[in-house]
Amino acid sequence: MLDPTAAVVHSPKSAAAAAGSFIWNLPRNILILLLLAYRKVVSPLYGQVCRFFPSCSAYALEAVTVHGAVKGSWLAARRLARCHPWNAGGVDHVPAGHREWPENRTPRIVVLNNPDKYLAAQTDGEGRTAA
Amino acid sequence: MDFFETIMFPFKWLVSIIMVGFHEGLTAIGLPAASGWTWTLSIIGLVLVIRAALIPVFVKQIKAQRGMQLLQPDLKKLQDKYKGKTDQLSRQAMAQEQMAMYKKHGTNPFSACLPMLIQMPFFFALFQVLSGVSNASSSGQGIGAMSANQVQQFDKSSIFGAPLSATLLHGTPPGGNEVAVWVLSILMILAMTASQFITQKQIMAKNMSEEAMASPFMRQQKMMLYILPIVFGVGGINFPIGVLIYWTTTNLWTMGQQFFVIRRMPTPGSPAAKALAERRAAKGLPALPILGGKKVDAEAEAAAAAAVAQARTQRTQPQRKNRKKK
Repeated sequence: MLDPTAAVVHSPKSAAAAAGSFIWNLPRNILILLLLAYRKVVSPLYGQVCRFFPSCSAYALEAVTVHGAVKGSWLAARRLARCHPWNAGGVDHVPAGHREWPENRTPRIVVLNNPDKYLAAQTDGEGRTAA
Repeated sequence: MDFFETIMFPFKWLVSIIMVGFHEGLTAIGLPAASGWTWTLSIIGLVLVIRAALIPVFVKQIKAQRGMQLLQPDLKKLQDKYKGKTDQLSRQAMAQEQMAMYKKHGTNPFSACLPMLIQMPFFFALFQVLSGVSNASSSGQGIGAMSANQVQQFDKSSIFGAPLSATLLHGTPPGGNEVAVWVLSILMILAMTASQFITQKQIMAKNMSEEAMASPFMRQQKMMLYILPIVFGVGGINFPIGVLIYWTTTNLWTMGQQFFVIRRMPTPGSPAAKALAERRAAKGLPALPILGGKKVDAEAEAAAAAAVAQARTQRTQPQRKNRKKK
């Protein structure tokens, strides 16, 4: 069932378009890697300090994933500026973007940052497989 | 001037003016201007200024943690709601509801990243000032608020024969004692990592609520407890003696602050809080009032005080037995 060439073949894009989109997405993907590394290595050092849900690094990761490098960084910077001891904190989601993902391939961070939205979907799915 | 330098410029200036201020003050009370010890005390002064400026942030955090007691019932309800749900998405949903609850009650136990972030540019600035000293000294320039004369003086100054601008890895400027640099660097790296380790260990062993201990972050954090000293130890060999003085002092401050917190204002629900409650009970003092809820609880407090007064009169009773024996 798993055909490694499926992803390449089913895309009608030319190699040039693929290279173009690779370059276009490169800044975003570099930022995503940096943020993932930060969340894996640096975040655990401090434990939870953030006054918001999602935490600033989770917010930044989602913002860059959903909105791209430029707008995502801007959103993340604004969130960091909001995150200080005199802000009450609370729930503060990344604004919805226009990017769409194929079924079951929503980035993990988007799922984790919007638990109420995806938790309902997940329990539905579980119910179906159980039945 | 590149982007990074432009951002760092005001911090470098601030760091150097605080140090120069302390240096002038210390020489005014009679310390030798060219001595490395005077400059060492100036660096310690810089730490004291930065950490003292952060005290309001720290106090606010402690108050918020106390305020948490008020929402214990709601927190308990939330925990019951998610009891047994250990998958990551449910945990996230719980975290979200918990944050919403903090906001509703206007209290939040987390301090945000500002206190940490704000120290970073100062640290970088100090690093730049101290590691730039040798170059600026040979080219006769000033750094930030430090005049060219002061830079040269700083460059020549040393403690125990170790120049303040020397690093273990990148060598000792001429005239410095290399053995002294090695010994001092290693001693300070040890002091710095040990104080950090002790602080973290104390927090984990005594000042964490049961919920925090059970969280999935805990294992990662326990691992970091051992990895972190290695990271700082390796980093430390790149730091000039002056930066090591700064870092060691600031870590010692954190450790002292943490001891104070664990003893006097522990996190509700932590072993330290239980210990404090027991100590207070043994002394016959009322349980700690909850900050923020003081006005509402005035009556309850009065009742508690009355109860304590009663307890005190009762406690004198055993003395009668003693008298009988005699």
